[in-house]
Amino acid sequence: MKRWPVLVAALLVAGVAGRPSAAQTVRGWATSTVQAVELRPWVSLSDCIAGCIATSEERLAAVGTQDVRLSAWGLGVTGLSATLYARARTDLGSEVPWPRSGDRVDLLLGDVRWVGGPWSARLGRQEIRGGLGFSSFDGAWVGRRSRERWFEGYVGRSLARGLRAPANEALAGLDDFLPDRGAVLVGGALGGRLGSMSATLRYQREILTDRSALVSERASVDGAARTGRIRWVGNADWDFQLGRPGKAAVTASRSFSGTRQVLSISGRRYVPYFSMSTIWGLFEPVAYHEIEARGASSVGGTAAVWLSAGWRRYGDAGVVEVLSPLSDTGWRGAAGGRWQAADAWALEGSWRLEWGPGGFLHSADADVVWSVADDAQFRIGGGTLQQIEQYRLGDGRALAGRASGRAGLSDRVAAEGGLSLLHHSASSAGEGVSGAEWTQARAWASIRVRFGTEPTASGGLRR
Amino acid sequence: MMVRWLCAMVLALGLGAGTGVLTSTWAADRPDRQEPVFPHDRHQGLFPVCTGCHAGIESDVAESRFPPEGQCVGCHDGVARSRVEWDGSPTHRVSNVVFDHVEHVSMLTESGDTPATCADCHTAPGESSMSVDGSEELTTCWGCHAHARDDHFAPTPVGAEAAGCANCHVEAGPDSPPFPRPGAHEGDNFLLFGHGAELEAEVGRCATCHTVERCAACHVEVDRPALLALPAGGVEDPTWSARYPTPPSHEQGWADDHAEAASGPSGSCATCHTSDDCRSCHVDPAPSSVSRIPSRSQARAPGVDIRVEAPPSHLDFVFPSAHATLAAAEPSSCATCHTETYCVQCHDAPTGASYHDPDYLARHATDGWGRNTECASCHETAVFCRACHVESGLGSVGRLGSGYHDAEPLFLLRHGEPARQNLESCASCHEQSDCVQCHGVTGAFQVSPHRAGFDAAAAWNRAPETCLACHLTRPIGVGGA
Repeated sequence: MKRWPVLVAALLVAGVAGRPSAAQTVRGWATSTVQAVELRPWVSLSDCIAGCIATSEERLAAVGTQDVRLSAWGLGVTGLSATLYARARTDLGSEVPWPRSGDRVDLLLGDVRWVGGPWSARLGRQEIRGGLGFSSFDGAWVGRRSRERWFEGYVGRSLARGLRAPANEALAGLDDFLPDRGAVLVGGALGGRLGSMSATLRYQREILTDRSALVSERASVDGAARTGRIRWVGNADWDFQLGRPGKAAVTASRSFSGTRQVLSISGRRYVPYFSMSTIWGLFEPVAYHEIEARGASSVGGTAAVWLSAGWRRYGDAGVVEVLSPLSDTGWRGAAGGRWQAADAWALEGSWRLEWGPGGFLHSADADVVWSVADDAQFRIGGGTLQQIEQYRLGDGRALAGRASGRAGLSDRVAAEGGLSLLHHSASSAGEGVSGAEWTQARAWASIRVRFGTEPTASGGLRR
Repeated sequence: MMVRWLCAMVLALGLGAGTGVLTSTWAADRPDRQEPVFPHDRHQGLFPVCTGCHAGIESDVAESRFPPEGQCVGCHDGVARSRVEWDGSPTHRVSNVVFDHVEHVSMLTESGDTPATCADCHTAPGESSMSVDGSEELTTCWGCHAHARDDHFAPTPVGAEAAGCANCHVEAGPDSPPFPRPGAHEGDNFLLFGHGAELEAEVGRCATCHTVERCAACHVEVDRPALLALPAGGVEDPTWSARYPTPPSHEQGWADDHAEAASGPSGSCATCHTSDDCRSCHVDPAPSSVSRIPSRSQARAPGVDIRVEAPPSHLDFVFPSAHATLAAAEPSSCATCHTETYCVQCHDAPTGASYHDPDYLARHATDGWGRNTECASCHETAVFCRACHVESGLGSVGRLGSGYHDAEPLFLLRHGEPARQNLESCASCHEQSDCVQCHGVTGAFQVSPHRAGFDAAAAWNRAPETCLACHLTRPIGVGGA
């Protein structure tokens, strides 16, 4: 796995070095991030018969992350470029290890790609995004895209999601029943547009390298359409290995008064997907079906409010009921708003309620946002939440205070950072659980240096 | 006849404030035009001849072109007649026309024609006093200047000087009065829809005032036959600058729909847009239609100069939850502006705190069991979730007591339903061997985790090793050797 960054970097250097400098460009960015959080891990109480747990002393978890993203052009063939996206992590003296801080270097993307008119091809480490979620592999991809039709096909060594390594390597030692061989990923997609409708059909399967077993075999269809001012978005997938439908959803949204008001109605079916490498899928999880309505409106040009409410019901679990049946329905609701009080000042607030089988969350938050300039913003806020996790006692109340900021230090350098404090009230749980009153701190800081001009829209979604 | 018209023109232009009459052609549409308000018809009996008040018109004495201040007070003293305001000088009219009464009178005299009376020009046929309108005044001009009329509209490649513009017009410059503007030119509709049709219908009419340079001030693409029919190098109003009103078609949803219009055989995008506008959003490979549009460096006009911003569909608050399906349904649409690495920045175990809220750690459990967000899109459950849960004391270590799920004292007996409802949450703390302890054939209770009708044979055929995690041999009910 760790040979990939070196190989791709060598390709970049070799390609660029062999061409006239005027035709070469290397562009990208590097981001350095430091994160730290205080935790109070749960520990088992030896003097409690029923396996009681309690919180321990405060411990620190901290990680440093370095992301580098490069793309190089001018490799001697028109339309040929190379891409590298690597991430390095290091533990910063944690008392509680940060997830994956032991993985020193990950190559998220590392490929050579060619674009010629509607045709394009990639070779190397890459990622597929579609109706079946994210799939990473080391291999080849070829596709053709035009406005009316598109198709693609790919094959390569399958990588575990989010780990960029074959599952048997990445999960070695963590799971007793994992196959000791890698898997091959094969898939393709076909789609087209007709008027205001577009749809893509995708099929994908993974099979162990010795072809002794199937890891996954699924298909999906995703579609979007517009009828008048209503936009329809829908998707569904099918799990061939278990012979049953997977996730599905359809959303209809309509805007009013331009885009000043938006209303959407969604219907959704959710059932978790597990590969055949684990026994989880054979336990036959049940789906829930949900309906949700959401609305948003601008108010007077300086404010906006939104509201959502949803209800879901789980399918029949098919188990023998002991005493009385457990809950199989859930509710959720949320509301929020933003008021632009002045050019540079805004007030944001939100409220959220989730009430499902065995769990509960009720929270409210408010933030003041100060936009000093286009590339400089600071915010300070706070909130409160009460959370009861699944089938567990405890009031779980907390008060939060936070401050954060981001600023462009120059055309190419930007920094951001923040601090969050969460004061947990003492848990009033029953005999089995003992929680302490304490204040949890979380801090982070990052700096990004950009070089060259990225041929893509920048930024990201913030939830 | 010639002299009569000439005299008529002299008097008409003279009484029109000594500066010209062309402006009055569009007087009704021009706010800077000061209309004469003196009610000549009501004073006709009091002042029987024009020169009684306007003696200076003929003598070229500026001070006596209009009655002196105070003359009105003789009658309008506030007692016999209401008072009126007159300070001796009319409001100055702004015009590009150069006109000299004395010169014209001299020319008439030298030609031997008999000068006409003022009324010949300033009184419409059948009227009793000054009542002429602008169109008749202009006709009066052309009565003598008909020879110049054709040249006036014709293309003149050698410039304004050779065309003799200065004979009648002041020299155009930054401080020169604006040329008269037809009322039909007002409003965005003329720019958007009207002027092109007029040009194609009657290019000579546009060429009265405009040259192709005027078009090139706004039009990015000027190689159209209709535009090239206009003269080049003529006089253009220097104060006009590019203006790009937004067409109605560009409003709601245009960012999503514009591709169809742009890809047409006669796309009109290049009227206002340079290809730089396209490339401010489109990444390579840009659509082929982009290559047909001149770049900013190739155009004289500045173009609209679009800045990259999210299309309206992205501003919809439904978009964050819908974008995955939209991207899957039509990947080429996303590829217009985004490359793959854009997705990876958020969707691959984000390194910063920007994706999740700062105190998300404290409330992520709710999203976990509610599946509002599919954590597995970015996080591998066994490594990211379970590793952290184990470190923080939440991971299973083989213990099957109620410990964590203490709200249900009999949770072990009742866990089947919540497990089937939220198996991903179970897997974030428990490893498979926890379940096998009871559900495996060697387990304590050998409780089958399969529902009635489970197709054991299909599971065995697809992944026999997985079956063997719980079954020591081929499961019961699976046929074959």
